[in-house]
This record gives sequence, structure tokens and C-alpha cells, in this order.
Amino acid sequence: MAKIEPIVGRYIWVTYEGTEYRMYFEEAGNPNGIPMVCLHTAGTDGREWRHQLCDEKINKDFRVIAIDLPRHGKSIPPYEWYQENEEYKLTAKYYSGIIMAFTKALGLEKPVIMGSSMGGNICLHLARDYEDEVSALIAVEACEWSPGWHLDWLRHAHIHGGEVCATSVFGLMAPQSPDKYRWETWWYYSQGGPGIFKGDLYFYSYDHDFRGQTQKLSGKVPIYYMTGVYDFACTPEMTEEAARNTKNSECIIMEEIGHFPMSENPEVFNRYLYPVLEKIVAAAK
Amino acid sequence: MFDTSWMTRWQSAVNTNGPMSWLGKHLTADVLLGFGEKQFVVNFRNGKVASFTDQLGPETCYQLALKAPAESWAKFCEKMPPPMYNDIWAMAHPLHGRLQMEGDQKVLWQNMRAMFWAFDRMREV
Repeated sequence: MAKIEPIVGRYIWVTYEGTEYRMYFEEAGNPNGIPMVCLHTAGTDGREWRHQLCDEKINKDFRVIAIDLPRHGKSIPPYEWYQENEEYKLTAKYYSGIIMAFTKALGLEKPVIMGSSMGGNICLHLARDYEDEVSALIAVEACEWSPGWHLDWLRHAHIHGGEVCATSVFGLMAPQSPDKYRWETWWYYSQGGPGIFKGDLYFYSYDHDFRGQTQKLSGKVPIYYMTGVYDFACTPEMTEEAARNTKNSECIIMEEIGHFPMSENPEVFNRYLYPVLEKIVAAAK
Repeated sequence: MFDTSWMTRWQSAVNTNGPMSWLGKHLTADVLLGFGEKQFVVNFRNGKVASFTDQLGPETCYQLALKAPAESWAKFCEKMPPPMYNDIWAMAHPLHGRLQMEGDQKVLWQNMRAMFWAFDRMREV
């Protein structure tokens, strides 16, 4: 009999600031478990989390949900996108707002949010602005400030956007990670919509600047920082600095892995993730 | 390392590589590679390293230069490079500055897939 994964994908209509968004999400795991929403990296989509969605250990205690932000993957842009007067730029306010609008629309009660890269950075904003609405934050490849990535070259009439977005991030993955998974991640990046990776990086490199603010987080929500040693966009040193400034946090540096740990080397990443999830389960009891 | 003999072996690795034959179809550019004090201008033509020279003079033209200490390139060339040395961008990111890019960067962005694939062949030398 053919192997069929436990992942099921659906569409949900989410209203945020007067606009309706048709958002795609996938889920697997324990429907009565702790809800955990997984946020993809810039320019790509929820496919990055497929290994965690299919992991039996994770699925036992968690309802694992991976979303596609509007304009990403199977989540279409708002209908008027082609008439917008400005090119797409993701902002912290919109990003955190649409995430929480999704959790409300799906009826999730104080979910765990796990995000990588920009998905990790937004965890700091969620900790500040939505501390009563989330139970824990897993900030993967996250730091207070990650400059240098909002580049015009990523959306340019003379440059192949798909290949350049994918190739420009390939080196963020560790050489130890299996080739098949690194090139699968490359493939996801090559399929982003025009200008979407660049637009997301507006948040990543400009709108996200938590320097001087991290210390003001109350510590009500635990933050688990996890960063791979090959990440040159958010180095271990940058994450350690953020963690030092964060009350009620833990910092985990992952060896022989890079910026896309969940998709480039799921076996290694999941080994680092399991103890974090065990702590979250224990805290929930 | 990074002498003419090494460059000849790298040239062969690029020119006999299967995927490079289609990845590099549109890669025609002249690139200066600076390995510390040693510099070569590499002439890519339709994805092949057609020629290279270390005899740089007033008539040597190139569009793009990638310069890094020889030690940085040596780490890049390891079979399993250490963190921050496994990729051109890892070395060139402004936060780290281990590799300097000069010239027409559009050439790099237009040919990144093929060029980086060619540079990765250095690990086969």
C-alpha cells in the first residue's frame, strides 16, 4: 500500500484590517493536543515544516499547524494586489497581526508559535504585543537585528528571481545537511512569487530592530532560541546576545546545521527540538 | 594551492561537470579571483572556463572581482568547510567581510547559479 503522510491541508478565510485573506494551512498530530503554529521563512511557505508535521513524537502531544502567509505558497495575495501603488513590504505590525488573526479564526487557545528566520524574529514582537495570547515561543534562527538583506537584486527585470532567491540562501545551510534536503529547500525558494522574498526581507532587515527593546519584554512568555552554527545571517553570537537580554529564555546553539534547520536536516533539528517541546508539555500540565 | 597548476585542475573540473553544461549556458563573463596576493582573471564563455591568466596588465579587463585572503579561500575549498566559509555570501556578507566584491555585481546576480556551481568545483581539485 502506498505511503500517505498524515498532513491535511485546508483553506481558511481570515479577515484582518478590513481585508479578507484566503489562507492555506496544513496540520497533523493530536487534534486535542497543544496547538503549535509553525511560521515559514522569508519568501517561501509551510512546506519547510513537513518533517515536523510528520514526526510521530511531535504529533503525540501537539496539534502541529503550518501556515502559508498571504502571497506565499497556496495563500493567494489580496485581490487588489496587482493595483497596489507600492511594492510589497512586510511590516512587523502586519506580520504579527495576520498571525494572530489566523489563530483566532481557527479558534486556537494560546498556541505555541514556532518560527524560523523572519518567523523567529517576529516571536520577539509577539512576546511584546501578544503576551496574553500565546503560551510559548520557539524562535529559530532569531536575533534582535539582522541587517543587509533587503536588496533590489532580488526583484529585478534582468535577473531570474527564482534562481537567485534560492541560490543566495543556499550557503546558509550546513554542508553536513543531506544534499537531498538542501536542494529541496532550494526548490521551495525558487518558487516564491515575484518580489515576495525581497518584500519579506524588508521586515527582516529594516522593520525588525529590537535592539534596546528585548530587555523590556516582561518574561511572561518563555522564549526558546535555537540557532545553527552555519547561519551567517543570524549567527550564534547574535542569538546569544538576544537571549542574554531576554527574561525567561533559553538559548540552544545547534551544531552542524544552518539557517533552515527544520527542512535542511530534520533529523538533527528534531533532536534539539524534542527537549524544548517536553518542557512546553510539562508546563502545560 | 591557487597556483597555475591548481587553476588548471579547477578549469578541468568545471569544464567536465555534467550539470554545468546546461546551468552555465548563458554564463559569459570575465571575473577576477583574488586569492590573497595571487590574482587570476577567469574568462567564462558559455559556462566553460575558456581561459585564465595571472598576467594582469593595463589591457586586462574584467567585470567583477572577488577578493579574499588565501586562507579564506582555502577554508572555502575544504570538503566540509567550517561555518562562515562554506559559501561566497557567507564570506562576503557585510557583517563578516571576509571576501570583497568589486565591479559590476549585476553580472554576479545574473549568473549566480552557474557561477557558484563553478566555484563549488574547487572542492574537487
